[in-house]
Amino acid sequence: MITKEIIDHIEGEASLYFEMQEKRVDFVTVVFPHFRGMENMLKGKSALDALVITPRVCGICGHAHLMATVRAIEDAYKNSGHPIEVSNKAQNMRELTLTLEIIQNHLKWLYLVLIPQLNNFENITLSLTPLKGAYGASLATKALAILAGQWPHSSYMIPGGVTSDPTYIELMQLRAHLEKLSDFLEKETLGTTVQNFLSFESCKNFNKIASDVSSVEQALFDLRMHKKGFSHDDFIVLGEHRFTQIAKSRATRLYNVDITKVHVEDAFSPQEKSYAKNALYKNAFYETGPLARLISKDVKLIKNMHRRYKDSNYTRAMARIYEMVYLLQHSLDLVKEIDITQDSCTKSVTLSKVTAQGIGVVEAPRGPLIHKIKLKEGIIERYEIITPTQWNISSGTKLKPSPAQKAMIGLNKQEAEFVFRTFDVCSVCTTH
Amino acid sequence: MAKITKEERKNGIISAALALFSQQGFYVTTIPDIAQKVGMSVGNFYNYFSSKEILAKELILYISDYLGKNLREINMKEITTEEKIQEIVSMYFKMASDKPEMIEYFLRVYLSNREVFGSDCAGMICVSSFVTEMMIFFEEGVAKGDLHNQDFFSAFGLFMGYLGGMVFLFGEALLPEPLKEYEESISLNIYNALKHRD
Amino acid sequence: MHLNTETKPKLLWLQGVTCNGNSHSFLNLESLEQLLDKFELLYHPLLASTFSLSEITSLQNSCDILIFEGTYDPEFTRNNIPLKEILPYYALHAEHIIALGTCASFGGMFQSLAPERNSGLLYKVEEEGGPLIAYKKRVINLSGCPVHPEWLATTLQMLLAKHTIVVDDLQRPRELYSSLAHHGCTRNEYFEWKVDTKGFGLKEGCLFYEQGCRAPLTHASCNTILWNEVSSKTRVGTPCFGCTEPSFPRTNYFQTKTNMSIPQDVPLGVSKRAYLTVAGMAKTFHIKRLEGVLIDYKRDH
Repeated sequence: MITKEIIDHIEGEASLYFEMQEKRVDFVTVVFPHFRGMENMLKGKSALDALVITPRVCGICGHAHLMATVRAIEDAYKNSGHPIEVSNKAQNMRELTLTLEIIQNHLKWLYLVLIPQLNNFENITLSLTPLKGAYGASLATKALAILAGQWPHSSYMIPGGVTSDPTYIELMQLRAHLEKLSDFLEKETLGTTVQNFLSFESCKNFNKIASDVSSVEQALFDLRMHKKGFSHDDFIVLGEHRFTQIAKSRATRLYNVDITKVHVEDAFSPQEKSYAKNALYKNAFYETGPLARLISKDVKLIKNMHRRYKDSNYTRAMARIYEMVYLLQHSLDLVKEIDITQDSCTKSVTLSKVTAQGIGVVEAPRGPLIHKIKLKEGIIERYEIITPTQWNISSGTKLKPSPAQKAMIGLNKQEAEFVFRTFDVCSVCTTH
Repeated sequence: MAKITKEERKNGIISAALALFSQQGFYVTTIPDIAQKVGMSVGNFYNYFSSKEILAKELILYISDYLGKNLREINMKEITTEEKIQEIVSMYFKMASDKPEMIEYFLRVYLSNREVFGSDCAGMICVSSFVTEMMIFFEEGVAKGDLHNQDFFSAFGLFMGYLGGMVFLFGEALLPEPLKEYEESISLNIYNALKHRD
Repeated sequence: MHLNTETKPKLLWLQGVTCNGNSHSFLNLESLEQLLDKFELLYHPLLASTFSLSEITSLQNSCDILIFEGTYDPEFTRNNIPLKEILPYYALHAEHIIALGTCASFGGMFQSLAPERNSGLLYKVEEEGGPLIAYKKRVINLSGCPVHPEWLATTLQMLLAKHTIVVDDLQRPRELYSSLAHHGCTRNEYFEWKVDTKGFGLKEGCLFYEQGCRAPLTHASCNTILWNEVSSKTRVGTPCFGCTEPSFPRTNYFQTKTNMSIPQDVPLGVSKRAYLTVAGMAKTFHIKRLEGVLIDYKRDH
């Protein structure tokens, strides 16, 4: 018998159709029922309008959409024979604000999704402090807004760089907010210094701290999540940043990738129409997001976790928490590197001279976000968006399940739903 | 006999000065010349204008306001952009025929002796009421889809340069026909040059 | 509202077609905890709440304050129940209804997906054509894409305190929408003296003449109640997109619409004639101080 469960609090909602066998998931399909049609909305508009529209695909990762758009337009410029220089300053600023958005995302996921969901299990008693997540996230977005004007829905990245031209005062304020966030995390979340946390090499290190993170780590163990939620153990990272290494990996072995081999196909959803498309690389499913990225960067703790517990739900969840701290350190480093004597934005030829296609790829909180643009004299003829959740939470067949489907098989329903949320689902992005 | 008001006196000076400046030029004309033409003492003249330069500035403001007022009336009419062009050309040529001293002053004194007007008339300040109405005319023409959207000065130069050139030829008595005879063809030329292009 | 009783007013946060932007914007509120303490949160798409989505969509409860985020599409479903059933059910008894965001106020970003069907709660773009028009007096529009968290907090606090909320002709609180986004812009001096910016990515110059800035035409307090407490679009050199107005989304956000080099739209309430006269004069004076760079970081490098 197939039973349907509506999942909410995932930036929208999704339906899971479970096929159970002796109270264990035998198979499950995923349906995202809502459609918005943002790609169609872009047709016939100036390429620059996409900088305002695509951030509005998603309230939690709109900044990643902005960056994917600006990269796609700049790529189209290049392909039309008018390459655009972007100063190091602008590149650092873009990477910094993208990083800060990922941090706010992970913080919200930890406190608004993971901890409450863990707490739903019998015998798990964690203190519920959702507003801690919101507060920490607001510190990250405050720092972000100093450069980008606001969060959500900034449009400060434009072809050639960024619109803002920060002063030393602003950079110092930004740093002060990041240090405040760092103090907050150390005191409220980690129970140790950022530096010490990042030096962890083994799961045993968590035993030495007493904090929200160590409680979560313990709870994941208690629920035997290190033995559950295994997926294909194939990962992919496609966005170029200093915190990533572009690669696909079979377990922890890295291979080169070619972005042109990415394609989408209709989801397998026999019970109900799904508006999400499956994203694949060379016809295979790959897991994306923090775990994939940290493996690509050869981060010791995560590699050790992976060696012991493979791509279990424990590893997946801990990678997301670890990445939050890892990226906080990265952002502190980036602030120091912003050289305000450089130009914020370089001039480029008028957009009407651009007739070409372009592709923009970034790492969004949940993995690679791909924007493809086709321009005729600066006007959008076609726009295509492929989001990270389309990779992780594709709906494949029983013979060829997606990473999330595979991870849910064999678990009871509560565990399966929990595993599903550990992928940090973004419904609105998926059904852009 | 009705008493001549101060305002009427002032207008008298303006008319006389316009005539003299446009005929003889700014530098040759003196304050005693102007006072004599109005029939007042030089001393009394200074009760109205404290210097020749200040009078010169008043004159250009006077002309600009006059043109601006007429243009504004045309701008406010519910007629097509093409008809507005005809009316502007007609108004301008009528002014050149009936009050040639105004256009002469504009072309021969204001444009030729910019140093006289100094920083008080920097940029377009002293002709602002006229230029503003031309801006409104162009902006509305484009907004209605009648005119081609282009740089303001490219359009302004074409329109006013053309009219100024014709008035100059007229003033030099080089035109075989009265100005009015050219209104229709010139209006059409201007419209064709500025109209919306597909 | 049961303000005089022991119980807290019941707040329900419902979503139509949305990106979640207002929900996330709200989480930036500095006094979030203190504000939420004053209400019983029946449902929120991100925060823990009394009821689950399926309990909410079973239509057996009622709320005192209904917040609706997103474009209203009658056929759009939550938990498979169409909005045309959910919204009227809660709207009927809610004492106050807040249309949160430009989508909920005027249709906004997702209006164009199904123009005949979609709308805001009261307005379809600028016309009264929304499903709650009969309840107009109880509906407050908080437009913005997204809405600033303080705007929502202020409104909720005013409702709690039973203050009269004076609204404009689009049902927005004048407290928040009476002035323009231009008000408080740090580039105001450049606007006054008509000094255009020389491109994007500069601290100097006004964005109104070429870069498409809508701040002098947009009712919003973005430059007086700063975003994330620290900034605003114009402060970081991004033009205002006019996102609080019914005309949002627009097109050509980064370019001022000009006719013969003259801005098609001039500051709100100012006649074009008056604007062009003053602009022409101001442009004449070359103010050295406003023409150079403010801080020349490159000079000593």
